[in-house]
This record gives sequence, structure tokens and C-alpha cells, in this order.
Amino acid sequence: MLLFGRKSNNEQNREVRLRKEPYLIINIFFAGVILLIFAYSGIFSPVRDNYPVACIHEKLTGEPCISCGLSHSFSLIVRGRVDEAYQWNPYGMRIFLFFASQLVLRAAFSIFYLKYPDTRRQLIIVDCFGSGIIFLMAFWPFIANIGKGILFNM
Amino acid sequence: MEEVKNNTGQSLGIAALITAIITFVLAVIPCVGLIAIIPGIIALVLATVGLSQASRNNSPRGVLIAGLIIAIIGSMISVSQIFVAGKIAQKADRWPNNIHNIIKDVQDNVTKEIEDANVSIKVESNGEKVEINTNSNKKDQEKTLENLEGGKTLKPDSIQKNDSIKKHVTIRKKK
Repeated sequence: MLLFGRKSNNEQNREVRLRKEPYLIINIFFAGVILLIFAYSGIFSPVRDNYPVACIHEKLTGEPCISCGLSHSFSLIVRGRVDEAYQWNPYGMRIFLFFASQLVLRAAFSIFYLKYPDTRRQLIIVDCFGSGIIFLMAFWPFIANIGKGILFNM
Repeated sequence: MEEVKNNTGQSLGIAALITAIITFVLAVIPCVGLIAIIPGIIALVLATVGLSQASRNNSPRGVLIAGLIIAIIGSMISVSQIFVAGKIAQKADRWPNNIHNIIKDVQDNVTKEIEDANVSIKVESNGEKVEINTNSNKKDQEKTLENLEGGKTLKPDSIQKNDSIKKHVTIRKKK
């Protein structure tokens, strides 16, 4: 009866440990979000064109934006049709690689975090800088586009 | 006495940081950039509430401040997407005028070309042939029109029904 009524000591310890480690919670959450993105790309088909997310930019201006075709591109990459993915959006591959690398990094950093408690602070700093640089590399065309938009409107 | 630190606001801090990072990533993508303002505001509220709780109970504020900063930057990027949309809308506004001017230029050029040309129209239907020749001379054109009205051509209805009709329009330049 007690087994079902109360949580075991191990489970309680794990919960307490997780609560004390926000880094691990954040890593787990982001890994889940990235997996959801991949699932979204896998579920929605580029042939049926049944993507629920429409481009707000295109609706407002009537012009396609730099990130249009990204969902198509992701779906095609997941299905191994890389050439077609490039045609839909030339930046699709680098953004897909960003998410894939983040999934691997979340798992790797979490393992290191648990294995080497003495270097946790350094690990978080390396993670922040490393992820930031990868983010900039992947999203640079979009960031540059925003920069141009602001500069030309000033 | 050792200072006791509790984790008040820590959960809010984690939620704020996660929401703020999602805001940041979404804000950079133009397709969904404007929507990112919603998680941005949520992250700002979470971080602010968490910070007030943390400051009351003297608990750590690192995660909360990180969440707040990223949320502010993400929201700013999201708002700046309006500028990008505005720029494209401005361009799109100018395009119809440009297209109108281009069409007008082409029309003028074609009219100039035709002014100096002889126009010959041949209509063949079941072995029957009608040939119309015109040049730039206004009188000749009027004469041709009169001839056409005089019944030298087939009726429009019979032309539409007959599939074997061929029309030849040639434009020859006057030398």
C-alpha cells in the first residue's frame, strides 16, 4: 500500500536534486521543445501542405519574408530530401543543424554537469557562449535582415 | 549566525528564463517574430514577480535577472520586426506606380513603331480569303474601315463557330 501511496526515498531525493538544479530542468525542457520541433516537421507533410503556422509577415505585407518555406524545408530535411529543402529555404539547413546541435549539446552538457560537479560554473559559461555563437551563426541572415529593416527605416 | 538562503522565486526564474529564450529564438524568425511579443510579455511578468519575491526573501536572483534581460532583448527584437514589415510594405506601395510607368512606356514605344508601319491582316475561312492592308495614312485606314463595314468580311458569329479560320497579322516597316 505504501508503495503506491507515497513516493520512495529515491524519487524524493531525485526531485529535490532537480529542484536545486535549474540548469538540468532548463536542459530537459529545451531538449523536449527541440524534439517537438522535429516531430512537427515529421508529422506535417510538404506534399499535403497542411502546416498550421502561417507567415504573419506575408499576411501583413503581401510579400514573402526571408524565413518563408522554413517548415517545408525542415520537413524535407527530416525526410532526407536535402536538395529540395534548399529550394524551399536556403537557410533551412543551418537552422535545422542549430536545433540538432542543441539537442546533442543539452544531453552532453547535462551528463557532464552530473558527472563533474566541480566544474559546473565553467560548464554553464562555456554552454552560454558556445550556444550563443552557434545561434548567431545559424540565424545571422535573419538578424542581418532585421538590422537592415531598422537602418532603412531610420 | 549563518545567513539562511531559500529558493523563493527560483521556479519563477526557471519559467521566465525558458520563456525568454523561446521568445528570443522566435523573435529572430520573421514569419513568427511578431507573435514572440506574447511569450516575451509572459517572461517579463514572471521575471518581475520572481525578482520581487526573491528580493523580499533574500534568495538568489541570477536566473531571474538572466530571464529578465533575455526577455527584454527578445521583446525588443520582436517589436523591431514591425520595422522590417514596414520597409517591405513601403516597397510594395511603390511597385504598382513603377509597373504602371513601365506599361505606359511600352505602350508609347509600340504606338510609335506602329505609326510608321504597314499592317496586313489575312483571314482564311473554308477557302474564302479576306486581306486587309493598312498603312499609317489616316485616309487609307478610314477607307479600310468602310470596306470592312461594307460586308467584305465574315460575320463575327460565323468566325467564332468556324475552327479552321486562320488569322495572319504581319507588321512590315515602311522603308
